[in-house]
Amino acid sequence: MSDLELTVAAKDTDRPKLALSHRLWSAVLPVALALLLLGFAAVDHGVLSPANLLNIAQQTSYLALFAMAQTVVILTRGFDLALGPTVSMVSVGSALAMAGATASGHGTVAVLLAGLSAGFALGIACGLFNGVVVALFGVNPFVATLGSYNIAIGIATTLSSGRPVQGVPAPFSQIFYSGSIFGLPAAIAITVAVGLGLHLLLARTVFGRSLYLIGTNPRAAAVAGLPVKRILVATYVLCSGLAALGAIMMTARTGSGEPNLGGALSLQAIAGAVVGGTSLAGGRGGVGTAVLGALFITILSNGMNLTRIDGYVQMVVLGAIVIIGVLLDRLRQERSA
Amino acid sequence: MNTALVAAAPRHAISLRSIAGRIGLLPALLVLLVAGMSAVDAQFYGLINVLNILRNASLLAIVACGQALVIIAGGFDLSVGAVVALASVVTAKAMAATAAAFPGNNALIIASGVAAGLGSGAVVGLVNGFCVARLKVSGFVVTLGTMSATAGVGLMITNGIPVYGMPEIFVKGFGRAQALGLPTAAHIALIVILVMVFAQRRTLFGRYVYAIGGNVDAAVVSGVTIQRHIVGTYVVSSVLAALTGILLTAQVGSGQASFGGDRMMLQSIAAAVIGGVSLRGGVGRIEIVAISALFLTILGNALNLLHVDSRLQPVFLGVIMVAAVALDELSRRSKPRV
Repeated sequence: MSDLELTVAAKDTDRPKLALSHRLWSAVLPVALALLLLGFAAVDHGVLSPANLLNIAQQTSYLALFAMAQTVVILTRGFDLALGPTVSMVSVGSALAMAGATASGHGTVAVLLAGLSAGFALGIACGLFNGVVVALFGVNPFVATLGSYNIAIGIATTLSSGRPVQGVPAPFSQIFYSGSIFGLPAAIAITVAVGLGLHLLLARTVFGRSLYLIGTNPRAAAVAGLPVKRILVATYVLCSGLAALGAIMMTARTGSGEPNLGGALSLQAIAGAVVGGTSLAGGRGGVGTAVLGALFITILSNGMNLTRIDGYVQMVVLGAIVIIGVLLDRLRQERSA
Repeated sequence: MNTALVAAAPRHAISLRSIAGRIGLLPALLVLLVAGMSAVDAQFYGLINVLNILRNASLLAIVACGQALVIIAGGFDLSVGAVVALASVVTAKAMAATAAAFPGNNALIIASGVAAGLGSGAVVGLVNGFCVARLKVSGFVVTLGTMSATAGVGLMITNGIPVYGMPEIFVKGFGRAQALGLPTAAHIALIVILVMVFAQRRTLFGRYVYAIGGNVDAAVVSGVTIQRHIVGTYVVSSVLAALTGILLTAQVGSGQASFGGDRMMLQSIAAAVIGGVSLRGGVGRIEIVAISALFLTILGNALNLLHVDSRLQPVFLGVIMVAAVALDELSRRSKPRV
C-alpha cells in the first residue's frame, strides 16, 4: 500500500515538471524565430517594416504549401522527391493549355478552366503514379518518387522545349497572384484556407487520423482493418494535388510556364517540414510544423538577403540549420518522452 | 545473406528462378542492350565510344560503390554530388597554390592537390558520420544539410569560376591518359571495386556493415561497435566521391564547382538501387552495383546514339528505375517467406 502511495506521489511531482519541460522545448522554434527576426532587425531596420513583413508572409505561403504537401506523405513514412518536377510539369502544362485555349478563341472563363484542369490533371496523374508504385508495387517511396522525378522533368522540358511558355492570361495572374481577398494577397489567402482545410482533414477525419496510425505502426493499421493501400494512394494524390495548386500560384506569379520552376523545391519542402518538427520516421507532424518550418527558412533567407550575406554563405547556413533543427527536435522528443 | 539462404535451401529448389535471382536480371539486360546497340549502330562499338562509356561509367561506379556501402548500413548519402564539386575545386586550388610556392616540383604539387581533395572529402564524411552516429540525426536530413553546406563552400572558394593552374602532367599524363588501352579512370575504378568487394566479403568491417543494416539491435547485442562503423561508411562514401572529383578535374583540366551536383547524387542512388541494394539496409553487393553503373551509362549513351531527344531521356531512366525495383519487389513477394 505504501508502495502504491509512493508511486502515486512520485507521479504527481513528476507531472508538472514534465509538462513544463515539454512546453519549454516545444517553444524552442517559435522563440528562435522571434530572436532571428529581432537579430536581423538590429542589423537592418527594414526587416521589421510592414512591407517586408508582408513580403515574408507572401514568400512563406508558397513554401508552406509545399511543406504541407510533403508533410502529408512524410506522415506515412513516405517522401515526395518528385514534388519539384511536378511543379515544373504542372506549370508548363497549365500554361500550354491556357495558351492553346486562348489561341482557339475561347472566353476567359474557359481559358482559366482549361489551365486549371490541365494543371490539376497532371498533378493528380503524378500522384497516382507515385501512390500506385509505392502502395501496390511496394517500391520504396524514395525510389518511386526518384523515378517520377526523372519522368516529370522529362515531360516538363519536352512539352516546353526547355523554354518558358508564354500566353498566361492576365486574369489568371490576377486571381492567383496580384488579387486579394479581405485585404490579404491571393497567395496568403489561398495558403491560409488550404492550411485550415488540411488541418481539419488531418485532425478531425478518419482519413487524417489513419495517416498518423500508418506512420506510427503500419502493421497495426493493417491489422486494424484500414485499407492501407488505398489510403496511401490517396495520400500521394493529395500531396501532388497540393503541389499542383502551388505550381499554379507560382505560374501566376511569374506569368509564364517555367520548365525549371520546381528546381530544388523537393528538398526545400522536405527541409521545411523537417525543420518544423515533422518526423521522417512517420506519424508526427501536421500543418503547424510545416508552416513553422517554412516560416523559419523564409525568415532566415529573407534576413540574410537584407543583411547582405553572401548567397554561397547562405547555402552553408541553411544546411547547418536543417541539421540543427532536427537535432533540437530529437532532443525535445527525448525530454518529453 | 540472400546467397546464404539460397545455398542452405534443399537442392531441388535450385530452379531457373533461383539462378536468375542469384545472378540477377541486370547482367542479362546489359548483354541485351550491348548486343542490340551493336546490331543497330556500328558507332556504338567504335573505340572512341567505348572509351567514352568506360570513362563515364568508371566515375559513376566509384561514387555508387560508396553510396551502396552507406545504404547497406541503413543510411543515405545525399552529399556525394556536392563532395565531387568541393574536392574538384579544393584539388585545383591546392595545386595552384603549391605550384606558386614550389614552381616545377610536380610530384609535390600533385601530392598536395590530391591529399587536399581527398582530405576535404574525408572531412565531409566525418561530419556526416558524426551527426548520424553520435547525434542520432537521420542520415537523410544530415546529408541534405551537408549537401547544401558543401556546395556552398565549393562556390565560396571559387565564386563559381573554374580554377586553373594545374601541372600539365596531371591533366595530359594522368587524367586524359590511357594505360593498357584503358583510360586511367577505368583502372582506378577497377581497383576501387576490387578493394570494396574484398572489404565487403572478407573483412570484419564489411560483415559489420551488413549486420548493422540488417538489424541494428541484433548488431548491438552481438557486440558490434555501431558508431565507428557507421562513421566509416560515410567517410568511405565521401572519400570515393572526392576521388571522382579529382579524376574529373584531371580529365577536364580545371576545378569546377559545377561538377557532380544533384545529378551525380541521384544517379549514384539509382545505380545502387538498380544494382539490388535494398534501401531497408543489409542487402547489396558492390560488384552488381558496378555493373549497374555501367548499365546506366550505356543506356544514356545508347539513347544519345539513337537520337532520342535529350529532354526525353530522363523519362526512360525514371521508368527503368521504377520497373527494376518493382520487379525485384514483386518477385520477392512471390517467394515463400522463411
